[in-house]
Amino acid sequence: MDRRGFLKVSLGTGLAAAAVAGCGGSGGGPSGGGGDVTLRYAWWGNNIRQQNYTKALKQFSTANPAITIEPEFADYTAFQERMTTQIAARDVPDIFWIASPQVMTYHKSKLYRKLDDIPTLKWDDYSKEDLETFKLDGQLNTLPFGIFTPVIRYNETVAKADGVTVPVEGPGWTWDSLAELLVAYSKNNPGKRKGTPYAPDHDLTFEAWLRQRGEQLWTQDGQVGFTADGLGSWLDWWEKLRKAGGALSLSEQEGMGPDWAQVGKKVLVNFGNSNHIIDDAKMFPKEKFRLRAAPIAAGAPAGHKYLYFPRMAIYQRIDDGNLEAAGKVLDYNVNNAEMLKTVRLTMGAPTNPKVAEQAAAFASPDEKEMLAVVAKERAAERKPRYEAPPGSSTWRTTMARICEEIALGKTAVPAGAQKLVDEIGAGIKRAA
Amino acid sequence: MTSRSRFYLNRQGRAAHVFLIPWQLGFLLITAVPLLASLYLAFTNYDILNPPEWTGLENFQRMIHDDQFWASVRVTLIYVLVSVPLQLAFALLLALILDRGLSGLAFYRSAFYLPSLLGSSVAIAILWREIFGDEGLINKGLALIGVHGESWLQNPRTALATLIVLNVWTFGSPMVIFLAGLRQIPDELYEAARVDGAGVWRQFTHVTVPLLTPIIFFNLILQTIGAFQTFTQAHIISGGTGGPANSTLFYTLYVYQQGFVAFDMGYASALAWVLMVAIAVVTALHFLVSKYWVFYGDS
Repeated sequence: MDRRGFLKVSLGTGLAAAAVAGCGGSGGGPSGGGGDVTLRYAWWGNNIRQQNYTKALKQFSTANPAITIEPEFADYTAFQERMTTQIAARDVPDIFWIASPQVMTYHKSKLYRKLDDIPTLKWDDYSKEDLETFKLDGQLNTLPFGIFTPVIRYNETVAKADGVTVPVEGPGWTWDSLAELLVAYSKNNPGKRKGTPYAPDHDLTFEAWLRQRGEQLWTQDGQVGFTADGLGSWLDWWEKLRKAGGALSLSEQEGMGPDWAQVGKKVLVNFGNSNHIIDDAKMFPKEKFRLRAAPIAAGAPAGHKYLYFPRMAIYQRIDDGNLEAAGKVLDYNVNNAEMLKTVRLTMGAPTNPKVAEQAAAFASPDEKEMLAVVAKERAAERKPRYEAPPGSSTWRTTMARICEEIALGKTAVPAGAQKLVDEIGAGIKRAA
Repeated sequence: MTSRSRFYLNRQGRAAHVFLIPWQLGFLLITAVPLLASLYLAFTNYDILNPPEWTGLENFQRMIHDDQFWASVRVTLIYVLVSVPLQLAFALLLALILDRGLSGLAFYRSAFYLPSLLGSSVAIAILWREIFGDEGLINKGLALIGVHGESWLQNPRTALATLIVLNVWTFGSPMVIFLAGLRQIPDELYEAARVDGAGVWRQFTHVTVPLLTPIIFFNLILQTIGAFQTFTQAHIISGGTGGPANSTLFYTLYVYQQGFVAFDMGYASALAWVLMVAIAVVTALHFLVSKYWVFYGDS
């Protein structure tokens, strides 16, 4: 072959390859002939959750051969980054979980398709009150698929061995009594454990603290719902606890947001979400963990209790031909206990009350512990809570930084609290 | 030039252009267009989800009052000023040792290069925690002599130093370049120096260093630019926070936080352009000053 011939063949091959590539593409639209549908499903978590959900989605496809699901999994942080770039490229998965800081940001960007007109997604099992709490700005456009509550998780095995009794919920279960317990335990226990990791940046317990003082995390109109004083009181509680030796130092826990596998052997209790017990307890299989609802401040107003919902949604621009199939997938996620047998309850208690009852039958002891705590909170009177507004997505990172500065003595509590309120407010203002 | 040879050259040129098309497309689509787009975005408020809004110089004005920005500038400058000279000195020292004709040179060269390959991996985060953590090797060693040490990674006074140690440890690339440069210095010059009574130190300062200055300059430029762009190590070891208390908040980590955590891509673009201009200025200064200390054999 001469050079001209080679060039012609090369160009021809290249153009043909480009043309074929252009015809390809995956996911999205109906795949033609036979009514088969391919849906992209995006979620986050650890390796175990990836495996469990992949398996459950395959089981769904086996039961519904006309629906193929392409899983898109990532670690929590990477998931958010990927979603953002996918949104910018208008290449959003058909069904996706929503990271808590982005719920209202995506809502503002009109990413969610409304869910109350999809015939394959049933709402019959939910009360009117439930449905109201699910809505964003009055629209039922996201699907809460789990419930978390703020809890104190303690190591019952160690507590028994060390002769410690964690008070039961009731009049004696206050933040002060908890602090006293943690400090006293840290000073005198054979394993030289501390009471708790240093965790003032834990969002759910912070929100519980605020609501017990008549404040809230976010307002209905998308502003910061707490004052510098409210935040300061929380940071002060932690600072006193840390200085009294009731919490691990940053050095002992290797920074903010410590790895539970590392610090679990160094503490008696942990501040966390109710669902965390399921994965965290497995790291210490010889020990038994129990949950207590967050302590209650004296004079806490009625309705301070709250539930946090992780949400999922269907992309606004989903192909109409795929919508019913997507509704079926969502229905499988929330209204079918069979899926939970595979994925377990790592994403919290089921939002569907009937499924929650069914789940109790096959739940593990840790899952039963979580279900019991959530059921109690769910039955309590609750004032509305609002999702994080656009522009506030980094508030937890900022809070962790301020807490770190306070613990290192670089910032005083009042100055740190004011700085955090100002920084979050500035972010919200920029995004407005 | 005859018309035949001009025709031949034209044909050659055309073929060259055809073969260059993939690179040209790559440069345009992956480098030039995003570069220009980021320049535009630097003057906008852009959250990726919604269309950018023109805000003029607002992003650049914001930097002036941004404590995090100044913290990242400070951290990066300290890192560049301390880690680059240390790394180059260490790489040169190792290259000089390896140049002495050790047996098993290939093995040592590979072994010393290995850390450069690991320098940006998750394994390093684990290794560094095992060495510098609260219960790490160093503190265990200190405990043997009765000293209670705290986590070196969680102390704002020492956290950056651990990353500087990491950079010095990844000396493989400049070392290999130094080694190649040392091989180019003729033995006759050393023989002549020895005949003139020069000892090892004088041979090093009067023969090796002057003839190696172009290589030192080359390494200096590369490593300085690399140090300004340091990201992965800080991201992995601090968990992406730049902590404790901003002590490892490298400039590029801050750009990343703004772009991909806060989704403030307009501000991140402005930050990126400031970094690019800063690197260009520093590199230009290096070239300006080089005429006073870099010796080229033909000059």
